[in-house]
Amino acid sequence: MEKQMENGSDRVVLKVEKLRIHYATPQGDVIAVSDISFNLYEGETLGLVGESGCGKSTTAYGILQLVQPPGYIVNGSIEVDGTEVLNLSEEELRKFRWTGLSLIPQGAMNSLNPTMRVKDQIIDVIESHEGEKQSKEQLRDRIYGLFQNVGLPNRIYDMYPHELSGGMKQRVCIAMGVALNPTVVIADEATSALDVVVQRIVAQTLVKVKDEIGVSLIVIGHDMGLLAQIVDRIAVMYAGKMVEIAPVENIYAEPLHPYTRLLIDSIPSIKERKPLKITEGITHDPRNPPSGCIFRLRCPFAWEHCAEVEPAPIDADYKHEVACHLYDERFEERRANAFATFANP
Amino acid sequence: MADDRKVKDAPVAGGTKKAGVLNRFDNPWLNWKFLAGTGILGILFFLIFLGYQLWDTNLALSARAPLNLPPLGFENWRGQTGIPEHPLGTENSGRDMLALWIVGTPRTIFVGVIAATVGMLAGIVLGFMAGFLGGVFDDVIRLAVDIAITIPSLLVLIVIQAVLGRVDLVTMALLISLFSWATPTRYIRAQVLSMRESGYVQMARLSGVPARDIMFKEIMPNLLPYLSASYIGNMQGAIISAVGLEVLGFGPQRIPSLGVAIFFSIEAGALFRNMWWWWGIPTVTLTVVFIALLLINLGLDEIANPRLRKAS
Amino acid sequence: MGGISLNYLLRRLLVFFLTLWVAATLIFIIPRLAPGDPIAAMVARLSYQAGFVENSGAIIEGWKERFGLNDPVYVQYFRYLGGLLQGDLGFSMARFPSTVTELVGRALPWTIGLVGVATAIFFVVGNLFGALLAWNKTPRLVKVLIPMSMIFTSIPPLLAGLLLSYTFAFLLGWFPQTYSYGFGMTPGLTLEFIANVIHHGFLPAMAIVIVTFGYWALGMRGMMVTIEGEDYMILAQAKGLKPFYVLYRYMIRNAILPQMTALAVSIGTLVNGVVLVEVIFNYNGMGTLIVTALREQDFGLIQGTSFILIVTSALAVLIIDLSYPLIDPRISLEGR
Repeated sequence: MEKQMENGSDRVVLKVEKLRIHYATPQGDVIAVSDISFNLYEGETLGLVGESGCGKSTTAYGILQLVQPPGYIVNGSIEVDGTEVLNLSEEELRKFRWTGLSLIPQGAMNSLNPTMRVKDQIIDVIESHEGEKQSKEQLRDRIYGLFQNVGLPNRIYDMYPHELSGGMKQRVCIAMGVALNPTVVIADEATSALDVVVQRIVAQTLVKVKDEIGVSLIVIGHDMGLLAQIVDRIAVMYAGKMVEIAPVENIYAEPLHPYTRLLIDSIPSIKERKPLKITEGITHDPRNPPSGCIFRLRCPFAWEHCAEVEPAPIDADYKHEVACHLYDERFEERRANAFATFANP
Repeated sequence: MADDRKVKDAPVAGGTKKAGVLNRFDNPWLNWKFLAGTGILGILFFLIFLGYQLWDTNLALSARAPLNLPPLGFENWRGQTGIPEHPLGTENSGRDMLALWIVGTPRTIFVGVIAATVGMLAGIVLGFMAGFLGGVFDDVIRLAVDIAITIPSLLVLIVIQAVLGRVDLVTMALLISLFSWATPTRYIRAQVLSMRESGYVQMARLSGVPARDIMFKEIMPNLLPYLSASYIGNMQGAIISAVGLEVLGFGPQRIPSLGVAIFFSIEAGALFRNMWWWWGIPTVTLTVVFIALLLINLGLDEIANPRLRKAS
Repeated sequence: MGGISLNYLLRRLLVFFLTLWVAATLIFIIPRLAPGDPIAAMVARLSYQAGFVENSGAIIEGWKERFGLNDPVYVQYFRYLGGLLQGDLGFSMARFPSTVTELVGRALPWTIGLVGVATAIFFVVGNLFGALLAWNKTPRLVKVLIPMSMIFTSIPPLLAGLLLSYTFAFLLGWFPQTYSYGFGMTPGLTLEFIANVIHHGFLPAMAIVIVTFGYWALGMRGMMVTIEGEDYMILAQAKGLKPFYVLYRYMIRNAILPQMTALAVSIGTLVNGVVLVEVIFNYNGMGTLIVTALREQDFGLIQGTSFILIVTSALAVLIIDLSYPLIDPRISLEGR
């Protein structure tokens, strides 16, 4: 909870603006990510959450320029340390990758090349970006250093991926992800496929490495409980829109957006049993999103205005934005009434 | 806020382009390879049908025509030119090549169909047993397949035919089918194994659906495109074996098939005497048949496996 | 690291020896299943061709005595298997003093050479073309030209042999029409002789290659398409590796594994094709030997040649199977 204070830098390292990504289908484009804008600050860890299909992974892959067909980027701007990623030529982009933006995939599964030794998969990324000038011993010592950072034993240096456990593979992916000291690291569901104990250890490894190297980190996940312990801010996505982005303590103490409230209320708790608030997924056709606010079809507080005007992000607090008309000063009265009835049904 | 700049065309390896993406959602059976292949075979059968109606097929027997005549518009090494009575020429025992083509082409395909069908049926039974029942069945069948696939079938067929001598077409087809079960068995076993592990079959098992129903109601329909592709592949193999045996001289000799015609032509040194029409007409016909079968096979492959469509 | 697990090794060896045993038994049984007495029929045909039919009874008895055909079948069977184990394939009936082993020994190297070279070419070319077909950096023109070059895929090598022989040997005269080296050449390791052998072997090898490589290209393309969807390909892209490096170290390297399995499976079909191509080009290998034996009704030679070709195929399959764990690191761990 205190971490955010220590890492409170105001320098923006990643600036995403109006990023829009579609998936082509014969019945028209599915809007996966709809004009998302946000900043990532130096040394910050940002969690990206939302239910399945909300576009959080597509956003990450869009930032990494890895959207696979039939997906494609419609428009937007992605600036890393002042470099516009979308304007890079193919070769410039190749060189930029991993030094500017790197990826920690869901490595427990299938992200490592099964026919290459662990060392070769780390060496290849070093050599293709720094040239082949380093000696074998230098490379080995450097990789041993990476192993130590993520708590891997040196003996796996010469092993193949199938000889490692899921947790080890995930750590290899973390070691690989930070091998070139990138500006921004994106961890895509890095802990999802692991069992609970290993999940926690890997998450701790992630935080430790991040703090040591001082990179900025985006963590994509759906486990709000786990995320709360490792991130500084949380961005909540719904149906391709970012509805709220807030420091982690704000979002748990007082979620603003109605969708965020539902999401937080749905975190299971040992102390009390409560009915699941979110009973259905995204209800509208992703090819024809509703007019105005994307969430109004499921929102308990929606009124006519929500169907007419799309809510713009409103600054609610320091580094805290919410895209909901209730927080427009003009509708303050309505907000007070709405929450009063919602709290006492 | 930066103005909405349009992203450059395809900065991402792998492509951000829309074009070429949509066509794979079309009706899979409207696959041009599949349609072209069936179309070629259709035209071929139509021509054969016309031939039976319009031409005297008795001319395919020996000594019904002058010897060694070239096709119309060509000249043979004796300076004879082609005559309209025998538009595709004749060979050295006085068979008319057009009649031989009309009679021989369906006979060659017939061998392929019989052998492929018998082999395929055996393959389905064995493949399902191995893949679905598993255990000892699987071990034994897998071993038998490994052995049968390693042995070049032509060699054993040569040994059999060396004993039996020349045989009729049905016997030849059945002999070939003795060796055309292994590949379909192997293929079907693999497909059944992967389907058996799939969610919907597991669900059916858990809910107590009898094994027979799972096989024929759950797995079989999903296997159909694979089975058809495998059947066509089997037919190619069977025709290759049949032509091979015929070219070695084991085919029926009175009414020749295409392979037997090639055998006669090689025996008579047609390659050295520039009687290209003798071996050339059967060769080109068979080539066309094989290209058609390949196209059908590729088409079926793409129908069965949508991922291949993207890359084509 | 490396090494082959015991289970894998034992299973491959079991398949190998069982294949030999099944082949040997088939070759032993088939003539005895035929109606009538095949030896008698053969001798009758032989003597008919040679022009005398008197004494045929005595001749038949003589043959039977020589081949031990008067013994019980199981005695014959075990004697036959014992002979095979010692490399004794018996005598050629038509060229009596020569043993089958001698004749096969002269023909086999030519066939192995022909198949080996053809296989190397179609496997490399086919996989390379297939990889280029699927790779997204391949120039468009290449992607159009490669499928066009695959037009003859899956027609029998025999027919390709006929077309090539007629076009390039008979009409154009670029290559010799028959045999594995020119008349009057003395076999030896001279440059001239090697060039001559390549000149003679070119068309037969091409007859196999042009109908086969397309099959490998298609298989490779299919594998590449599958691999392009793998998670590690996305990571390779994210890592900013050089495209060509990704092609060979990530894509081809992984796609080649199933292709090796497919190669082992296709050896039988390949040998079928080679036998017939040899016949077309009158190439002095095993195929031509077996056809000569057929023509001369030399049953001992037919059996011996078939058996040795089957052994050779099984050996090739065994070698490929045993080399497989060396290129796929995952196999060697199983069942250790």
